Formats: sequence, C-alpha cells, structure tokens
Amino acid sequence: MLSHRLYKIFPYVLIAPAMLLVLLVSLYPTLYSFYLAFHRNRRGVLEYVGTRNFEVIVNSDAFWNSLRLTAVFGIFFVGLVMLFGFLLALVFNRNLQGGGIYMTIIFIPWMLSEIVAGVMWRWMFLPQLGVLQNALSPLLGDITFLATGSGALGVVIGATLWRSLAFAMLLLLAGLQTVPKELSEAGMIDGANRWQVFWRITWPLMLPTTQITFVFLTIQAVNAVGMFLSITQGGPGTATDVLSLQMYREAIEFFNFGYGAALSVVMFVINAVLAFVYISTLRAQHAFD
Amino acid sequence: MTVKRQVIERESLGHWLRRHENHVLHGLLMLLCLVMLFPILYTFITSLRPQGFGLSRELFHPDGLYLGHYERLLSQPRFLRNILNSGINSVGGALLTTFVTACAGYAFARLRFVGRSSLLIFILAMMMLPGITSLIPLFKIASDLDIRDTYFVMIVVYGTYGIPFGIWVMKGFYETIPRELEEAAAVDGANPVQTFLYVIVPISLPGLIAVFLTNFVFNWNDFLTALILLSSTDMKTATVGLFDFQSQLEGNNSELLNAASILIMIPGLLIFLAARRSFLRGMVEGAVKG
Repeated sequence: MLSHRLYKIFPYVLIAPAMLLVLLVSLYPTLYSFYLAFHRNRRGVLEYVGTRNFEVIVNSDAFWNSLRLTAVFGIFFVGLVMLFGFLLALVFNRNLQGGGIYMTIIFIPWMLSEIVAGVMWRWMFLPQLGVLQNALSPLLGDITFLATGSGALGVVIGATLWRSLAFAMLLLLAGLQTVPKELSEAGMIDGANRWQVFWRITWPLMLPTTQITFVFLTIQAVNAVGMFLSITQGGPGTATDVLSLQMYREAIEFFNFGYGAALSVVMFVINAVLAFVYISTLRAQHAFD
Repeated sequence: MTVKRQVIERESLGHWLRRHENHVLHGLLMLLCLVMLFPILYTFITSLRPQGFGLSRELFHPDGLYLGHYERLLSQPRFLRNILNSGINSVGGALLTTFVTACAGYAFARLRFVGRSSLLIFILAMMMLPGITSLIPLFKIASDLDIRDTYFVMIVVYGTYGIPFGIWVMKGFYETIPRELEEAAAVDGANPVQTFLYVIVPISLPGLIAVFLTNFVFNWNDFLTALILLSSTDMKTATVGLFDFQSQLEGNNSELLNAASILIMIPGLLIFLAARRSFLRGMVEGAVKG
C-alpha cells in the first residue's frame, strides 16, 4: 500500500527541512558554545582549560558590573514598557474611531533597524548638538547624557522603550480581547464600577497573556545588545557594559572565544529558565494541542 | 458652604472628563504619535540640511532644502553595494523561511504523527533562545568552514532565524482552512502529497506572502548577525555599513549620516505600511497563540 506508507512518512518529509536548519544553525552552535566554554583560543588552536573560564568570570568585577547593569536595564525597561503598554492596550481596547491609524504610527519604530534607531537617538543626545540634549539638560541639572553613566543608560532605556512599546501593547491587547465583553457588561449591570470590573474580571482573565508578555520582554532585555552597540558601545567607561555587550566584545573583537562562550553559557542558563517559564505558561493554556 | 462648593466643582470636572472622554483619549493618542514620530522626523529634517548645519538655530538653510546628501549617497558605489547585499540576503533568507515553514506548518497544523507536540515545543524553545547565545559559536564555525562573508551563510542563518515565527504563523493560517476541502480531495482520490500541493498551497498564498514580507523586513533590519558574520567591505549589508558610517561621520557630518539612516529605513517602512494588517496579526500569533 503505497499511499498508506506515504501517509506515514509525509509529515516527517514536510518538517525535515525546517528541523535540519534549526538543528544545524540554532541547536548545534548552542551546544558548541558549551564545548568552547571549556577551552581557550591560543593562536587559533583550541586548548582545554577545564572550568577556568568560569572561574575567571565569577572572579571578575567586570562580570558582576555587567550583570548588575543588565538587571538595572531589565527592571526599568520591562517595568516601563509593561506599564505604558498596558495603559495603551486599555485605550485601544475601546475601539476608538481611527484607532488603526494611531496603531500604525505607534508601530513604526518597531520596524526600524536597531542601528537606524541608534543613529537617530545618538543624534538627539549628541553633546552640544543634540536637540534633546539641549532641551532636557537644563531640567536635569546640566548633564551631558552620553557622557554620564546613568544618563547613557537612560538614553538606551528610552530608545528601547520607544522601539518596543507598540509590540508589548499589541500582545497585551490580544490578551484583553480574549476577555468576553459580556462578562464586563454583566459586572456593570450587577452594580460594579469600572475599577472593580477591571480588577475582578478583566485582570484575572488576561493574567496568562500578561505573564507571557512579561517573560518575552525580559528575554528581550537580557539579550539586548544592538541598541547598546549603536548608542553607547558600553560607555562612558564601563557604565553601560551589559552582559551581552561584554560577550560580544570578548569573543568577536578580542577573539577570546572560550571566555565569550563561557559568558554565553551563563546567558543561556538565564534564557533557558525564562524560556521554561514561557513555555509552561503557554502549555497551561493548551497552546500545543 | 465652601466644602459643599468644592464637591460640586469636583463632580462637574469628573462629569466633564466623562463626557469628553473620547476627545481626551484622541488628544493623548495624537500626542503619543507625535512623540513616537519625533526622532524620525527630526532625523529627516536634519538630512535635508547642509553639512555642519546642526549648530544653527534655524530649521532649514535659507536657500531651502538641501538634497546633496541623498545625491551623494545614491551615487556612491559602496553604499549601493551595501544596499544590494542587504537585498540579496533578505530576499534569500525570507524565501528559504517561507518554503520550509510552508511545509512544516502544514504538518503541525493538520497531520497526526509521533512526536508532533514535542517537536513543536522544541522549535518554540529555539525561538526563545535568541540568536545572541549562538552567535559566538556561529562566528567560530563560519570562520573554520571559511564561509564568512558569503551570501550563502547569511541566507541560511536568516532563513533559520525566521523558522519558529514562520511555523507559528503558517500553522495558524492552515488551521483556518476548512477541513472539508481536504476531505473532498481525498474522496476524489488525491493522496496527501497531492492534496497539499494542489489544494492547500494555492489557497495559502496570503499566509505565505505574510511570512515572506515579515521575514524580509526582519532580515533587512538585522544588524547584529551581519555585524558578526560579515567583515569585507564588498559583502557588508546596509546596516553594518551604517554602523561603520556612524563612527566615521558623527559630529562632523551628522547630516549625511542621518540621510543614510533614512534611506536604509525606507524599504522596511514601506512594506510595513503596505501590509500592516498581516504584520500585526502575524506578530500576535508569533508570540501569543491568538
């Protein structure tokens, strides 16, 4: 029975090209980074060094500084983008007339390359010439944003928030729209005010989407390197030298593959934990059935 | 007396807000749109001023708009080469993604097979481990194989990055196709391969186009992967070229730099504006199963 056998093999034929690419280009390099993490590059030859790369990492101030900066960046970025994204999603959920036009405009920054966004934001904050540098500096005690640690981090947070706001809003809006309108209307009829309807009906029902958006943005924050490369390159000094940037520089600029790979293993672990949370949340919603 | 009057005034303010709620929201949204567009508009305005004009207080040069930066860029072979490279890599990668996810998405949406759900989770897990943790080994592997600075490596890598998202979107698309179509084809004697090729693929064109366009824009905008895998001037993409440009020009000819960033922004922006509906829907499906 040709057709019977065909029926059995066909699904695997269909997924084979995708699987092959994912295995070769995503999984294999990730596993290879574990191998590299236990070696060092000496004149182009890999040399086994055991756990020394990790010992160096744990004992280096630069690593802890990077980890702290990544956390600070992540907390501000995720917090702000969730807050504004949520407020915006509530507004768009009201189906205002012309809402589509607003949404399209708000989405434009997400469609720009990180380096294009970086050029724009650096230009606005360039010492002496930047329009926002000159406008905001007097309000904040005459600071030169890109030359101050917290100022430079603030610019990157602002730029990343600007780029990601619409995306976060869209995910949260999708969650809001899964809440049936009848439920909140019923709540209103029963005498609840809007505040109560939101906290007792809308919020619990969209909690899973909120969690997914939160994890998604956290992963984005941990791995954000493009905006840092294009705006601060880690400066001034090491004030914005986040984990991903340090990893990039060690491996690509200094050919320190072992050390860079060890750093990427550390990041892999952080990501894997977040991915696990993400997937279990999706699974609880039966997304894989 | 005073207490009572205050209460009345506060009520009327609340009333006023409630009555004009939609107007207030429209106003706030317009303000937000202005804020979101400001960096782009300011960059655009800057790009229309002659070199070194950044110090001036006037918006434009008294002689009017200056198009010299755009003329210079569009006649510069290196810039055009960067754009061409971006085009080749983006189209190639997006085509690869579209082809493999059109196939895999169908299997995940409609066919029953052993390991279906775990393979789907595996692919999603790969999406959650973003490029960055695999970039360093990828750099090493590409160097060892001597395939850095090639279209081949960029197309394969871009093609792979789009897979999880593409499968998610295509799977969602196939699930909206009524099962009766496949059943009718089976009754007519078509085997699963024929059903897929002659019944499903032709009506899935809108989904395929959406996957292609979205991935084209992602690839076009990619900066980090290209920065790591490309180092020869001839092979660099527009985004990497812009990065080099940034370190050379900033401060002394920011106007030219801004013109370059505007030109590089245009293709992605136009595609997004033309196909915004499928973009927005695809992105929701890609992250939260809608």
